[in-house]
Amino acid sequence: MTQAPVVFVVDDDPSVRSSLKFLMSSVGLQVESFDSADALLQRKLPDAPSCLVLDVRLRGLSGLDFQRELAARNCHMPIIFITGHGDIPMSVRAMKAGAVEFLTKPFRDQDLLDAVRIALEKDRGRRERKKEVSDLKERFDSLTPREQKVISLVVSGMLNKQIADQLGTAENTVKVHRSRAMEKMQAQSVAELVKMIDKLESSVEP
Amino acid sequence: MSHAESAATHVEARQQVEQRWRTAFENSAIGITMADFAGHFFAANSVFRTMLGYTESELYQLTFLDVTYEEDREANEELVRELVEGKRQHFQIEKRYRRKDGTLVWGRNDVALVPGIGGAAPFWFAVVEDITQRKEEESARRYTEEKYRLVVETASDAVISLDETSAILLANPATTRIFGYDPAELIGKPLTMLMPEFLRKLHEVGFKRYLATGQRHINWQGTELVGRRKNGQEFPVEISFGELTKDGHRVFTGFIRDISERKQAQRAIQNAQAELARVSRLTTMGELAASIAHEVNQPLTAVNNNSSACLRLLANQNLQPDVLRRALQEIVADGTRASAIVARIRAFIKKTPAEKNTLDVNEVIGEVLVMMAHGFEENRILLQRELAQALPPVLGDRVQLQQVLLNLIMNGIEAMTAVTNRPRTLWVQSRIDESGDVLIAVRDSGTGLGSESDRVFTPFFTTKTNGMGMGLSISRSLIEGHGGRLWSSPNSPHGAIFSFTLPAAAGSSA
Repeated sequence: MTQAPVVFVVDDDPSVRSSLKFLMSSVGLQVESFDSADALLQRKLPDAPSCLVLDVRLRGLSGLDFQRELAARNCHMPIIFITGHGDIPMSVRAMKAGAVEFLTKPFRDQDLLDAVRIALEKDRGRRERKKEVSDLKERFDSLTPREQKVISLVVSGMLNKQIADQLGTAENTVKVHRSRAMEKMQAQSVAELVKMIDKLESSVEP
Repeated sequence: MSHAESAATHVEARQQVEQRWRTAFENSAIGITMADFAGHFFAANSVFRTMLGYTESELYQLTFLDVTYEEDREANEELVRELVEGKRQHFQIEKRYRRKDGTLVWGRNDVALVPGIGGAAPFWFAVVEDITQRKEEESARRYTEEKYRLVVETASDAVISLDETSAILLANPATTRIFGYDPAELIGKPLTMLMPEFLRKLHEVGFKRYLATGQRHINWQGTELVGRRKNGQEFPVEISFGELTKDGHRVFTGFIRDISERKQAQRAIQNAQAELARVSRLTTMGELAASIAHEVNQPLTAVNNNSSACLRLLANQNLQPDVLRRALQEIVADGTRASAIVARIRAFIKKTPAEKNTLDVNEVIGEVLVMMAHGFEENRILLQRELAQALPPVLGDRVQLQQVLLNLIMNGIEAMTAVTNRPRTLWVQSRIDESGDVLIAVRDSGTGLGSESDRVFTPFFTTKTNGMGMGLSISRSLIEGHGGRLWSSPNSPHGAIFSFTLPAAAGSSA
């Protein structure tokens, strides 16, 4: 189901670009390279773990601007910056904005490959969490409004009787809603259900 | 002729003489008056009457004291008394008269007491000259003198007058304040006592030369020199001198201003400017270095990546010959690219001047001397400009030529810092040499090069404790880049000469 990971390279120097592609291909990575940030933005990003190796100094949109632009588009692909002359303020800015690594050219191949592996790992984790939340949301959305209400009261720690009183219904009816909702949510226990709802709620926030 | 006739003729003759005297008296160009012993006027001629504005009959009602201005009466009476007492035969007095209309008029009186003859009473006889105009002029002159005296007394600059031997005739209070001497310590002393040691001989020579030839070798208006206070402290002054001939003797008056504070402010500004220039140069260098690093790092990165990839594939025994070939081709291409960048940087650093303009050498010299003004002053260098007029223009890089001149002048100054027993003089000269090139020479009276004169142009050779040994070597290559030559020779009796030539710009005629 999950596609093979992809490393995107954006550098305006053709020989740096092709050498990066060659280096990463040599360890079996799939690489796509672009000569500008705009060219990358034209491409539809694949549904696969990915990361971006980005030159700071680019024609047109600079690397740091591009980092902001991606964040604004809600694209959270991890970024590894590479630069011909890394100055500290620039790298601080990049790292604060969430960059995985900031490498000064010429860098050791292993440093880059390590950074790429960490970045892909990070993206894979992020994607898994995202997938999990969207599955949970799908399940939650399949509940009837009544089941959703019951579940939210269960999660808040109320007993069936208390829920029945609050909803003005019979305790048995609550039991039925509750067991159907647990089934639909694929929750084995109340504790698991609490965790699920917690994940759903925390994912609403950025 | 009858007796009666003869008597009549005699009377007629007498009348004629008297008439003549009367006419002379009345028409005299000077005032004449007579008064009886008690002082009452009984005769006054037209000039005297007009002077006082009275008619004859009005005047005869008055005594001479009546018409004398109140404040002058006592002195007048005293003289009259002396004359009456026989202490003198006549007297002279300059006094003011009160005219009929109340205004005052100055008169110079010559007064005699005419003795009584043949029973007649003695009387006063006075000749009066109207000296009002002279008195007014005198007063105006006194006023002017007083005004100038006040200006000199209150001036904030020292004002000093000298005679032809350069001895001080006069010194104002500001002199006392600025130099710390009492006026009594200055009067009659030579001006050189207000100068530091190194200027004294120069002043004496220059002053004598001026007296002999009338040629001024320094600007008499606002020349900056160094003064010396009584406590030995030396300080910068700005002097202006004027000359006046009085009774065949020449008097020189100088205005000396203490410009210590002004100089300090100027120095602060210059330091700030120098610092700014240094920082901006460093910044430029830093930027240059950063961009060089970036340029070179690109191909190096590609070389590293390609090589590393090959090594990895090789380790996995997965390196295909065509992949290796392509990688090696790229590595070679990037190596070539890196060396091309290095070559470009080298060309940039030792570039033949890209900025060659038609330049006036004297103008460039002037700019450098302005930049060095502080250095001359601080090291007490006497600068002599000997710049030929109407030099042909040269084709050159202004900044590079400034660098060369700065370098040579700084070397000259440094070579003289140890000199204490003679003036530290630096000559900057420009002229056309035998082959029509423009020749610029910097001469100093320093310690000279001795046997080292050939080696000074060698890179990293230096005679200075903190020198790099690059200045002259770089200067020579800059001048050679302009098609000129730079060489050194000994100066006589002391010091060294550094000269360089620059070809005149094509199309210009010397």
